[in-house]
Amino acid sequence: MAIDAPARARRRPAGWANALFVLPYLIVFVAMIVVPLAMGMWLSTTKSDLFGVEAQVGFANFTRLARDPIFLETVWNTFYFVLLTVPALTLIGLGLALVLNRPARWASVLRTIFFVSTVLSVTVVTLVWQLVFTPDGGLIAVAAEALGGSPVAFLNDQDLAMPAIAVTTIWWCIGLPMVLFLAALQQVPRDLYEAARLDNASRWKTLTRITLPSIRRTFLLVVIIEIILQFQLFGQPQLMTRGGPNNATRPIVLFIYETGWRQWELGYAAAAAQVLFAMILIAAMAQYFVASRKDDR
Amino acid sequence: MKLATWLAAAIMSAALLGCGRGMEDTRTELVVQRFFGACEAQYGAVDDPAEAEGECGIMTALINRFERENPDIRVVENIVFWPGYDQLTAQLASNDAPDLVTMHGSVISDYQARGLLEPLLATDLAAIGAPPERLTEAARAAVTIDRRIWGLPIDTWAPLWHINMNLFREAGLVRDGQPVLPRSREELIAQAEQFKARTGKPYFVQSTANEYAAFTRNFYTSVMQQDGVLYPEPRRADFTTDEARRALALFREIHDRRLTTINQDYSAAVAGFINGQGGVFPVGTWMVGDFHGESQSRGRPLSGGYAVMPFPQLFPNRNVTFADGHVWVMPADSERSPEERQAAMRFLAFFARHQFDWARTGHLPVFRDVIDSREWRALPHRDALAPLAETAVPLPKGVRRQFPIETIVGQESAAAISGAKPIDQALADMERRVNEILSQL
Repeated sequence: MAIDAPARARRRPAGWANALFVLPYLIVFVAMIVVPLAMGMWLSTTKSDLFGVEAQVGFANFTRLARDPIFLETVWNTFYFVLLTVPALTLIGLGLALVLNRPARWASVLRTIFFVSTVLSVTVVTLVWQLVFTPDGGLIAVAAEALGGSPVAFLNDQDLAMPAIAVTTIWWCIGLPMVLFLAALQQVPRDLYEAARLDNASRWKTLTRITLPSIRRTFLLVVIIEIILQFQLFGQPQLMTRGGPNNATRPIVLFIYETGWRQWELGYAAAAAQVLFAMILIAAMAQYFVASRKDDR
Repeated sequence: MKLATWLAAAIMSAALLGCGRGMEDTRTELVVQRFFGACEAQYGAVDDPAEAEGECGIMTALINRFERENPDIRVVENIVFWPGYDQLTAQLASNDAPDLVTMHGSVISDYQARGLLEPLLATDLAAIGAPPERLTEAARAAVTIDRRIWGLPIDTWAPLWHINMNLFREAGLVRDGQPVLPRSREELIAQAEQFKARTGKPYFVQSTANEYAAFTRNFYTSVMQQDGVLYPEPRRADFTTDEARRALALFREIHDRRLTTINQDYSAAVAGFINGQGGVFPVGTWMVGDFHGESQSRGRPLSGGYAVMPFPQLFPNRNVTFADGHVWVMPADSERSPEERQAAMRFLAFFARHQFDWARTGHLPVFRDVIDSREWRALPHRDALAPLAETAVPLPKGVRRQFPIETIVGQESAAAISGAKPIDQALADMERRVNEILSQL
């Protein structure tokens, strides 16, 4: 296995030359991701606004965050929202993909219909769902009244507001997991299903023994993507509830926006952003390691 | 062939350059940034403010008129989504300051304290026809910091009680053609109960969902009417007081007795009032024109039955209403040329001259002589609103971050009034959160 010295010497320059191919992307990555990330970390240790840094405060912003009941509520709200949406998006996305993974015309029409909500902007989506949820002549209110019930103010009820935002988000975002699962399902070798049929395997057994193991990497990908996306909840509560009622729907990103832009506390907002970054990183990595371990076994 | 191609390209380039030069605009550019919405489709060609209605329409017509009267100035109009402060802050941080910006009086101190605004000198004010002595008390307070004037106020707004007189008549709350309004908390509850019993509808139409400003306006006004001190020092709020407790308790009682509509957002509340869902809609001066217009239509719940009054005095100590206002301010810009500054001054002078036109929006004029003028008094309902010139009071100018603070006060008030939190808890949280912001200044 040992490589002789002249061979090593011949290969080294070629390796560096190859690295030049990734240089354009590397420059953009460093300029647009690494530098802002480092600047954000530095800002989180300052007392500053958009017009300058007033003082270096070390970790004071982080200790203040730990004592800030509103921030702690936003952390809980964000986790709650992720819990409400990520499993639902993954399972519903998978379910739709399983049902629509066939060459029939109706399946392709339905695939388009389910995906089309994804291309709408958050403004349109929240407007549509506000019209659904409003107790003053909203879709659900009208239906409830027709059935003899009374309208429910979903967005003005502390317990129902976040689930209402979760439903809106699931409707809006379901297209991406569905498409990812569809792509994965189409990669599963057909001969496995043929073999299962020859063995008289039930549908359930086919699903659990062939389909799901075959798309487990996509499953992991969907979960990680959705965790990252849903932790960044912002537009829906900003437009539908403004974080209310009684802070019940204020997520971390809305807190960051309000603190940085409305209160002009950029350093404090940057500290909250670092906490969010750490949370997303830990959640995504934990999911990745758990799934990788299962794979290894 | 090659030579011919190059020649043709050179001729075309020269021609294009020539065209560009010929069309070069040598006028002074004036960048004006404003809120109040975009309505170019309706009023883009209108330059007579008398033909326009509403804030957006009148503002658009006024700017069109200014452009027509000042052909040597090219107005670049940036219309921002309300209130536009995020955009302005970003522009100022990136040295892309407009020449003039609309700003609430309550927000000026944030930008002034960071050296981002240019004061108007006494000579400027005299030149534009807006000397301080011409301004109302509220308007002068809105723009004065450290004895300097930081913009041209264009109006004062305050929460008003918009009244459905048809329902008030049905409820027996009209005397000599005037609405009977409460003079105390007890009268308010009694009249509201009478209204509900006789009309079957709640006394108030209120915007309580996805909206906090109305809660803040009611809270501030009620505390101020008790002579309560909301901000004993510019960097300290004091909300855990009996006055604050009584203010929230009153609105909690109104909510608990269902004397108000509930769970309506702003649009639903406006539609609700227009459709006769309740008797009183406490909202600002900006709705006077719209509701008056509605009352002039036939066959509508407000037809021939609309009145508007200042927020009534519900507490005995002081007849006062929390107020704010809109101001044209000039962001500091070291690169602004004397010609551009001069153009900005001409724009401000134009707005000072057209104060009456702007006051047709429903907002209170900022010049005493306009309020006293027959022309303004002849506008619908303005006689009833004139006392606001004396009773409208903004928060002390030294209190910064009033915009985010307004949201916090509204959030906690909403939590107390809806019953999500006990009143004492909400007031303690309100005070803690506001003082946290003020302590960081």
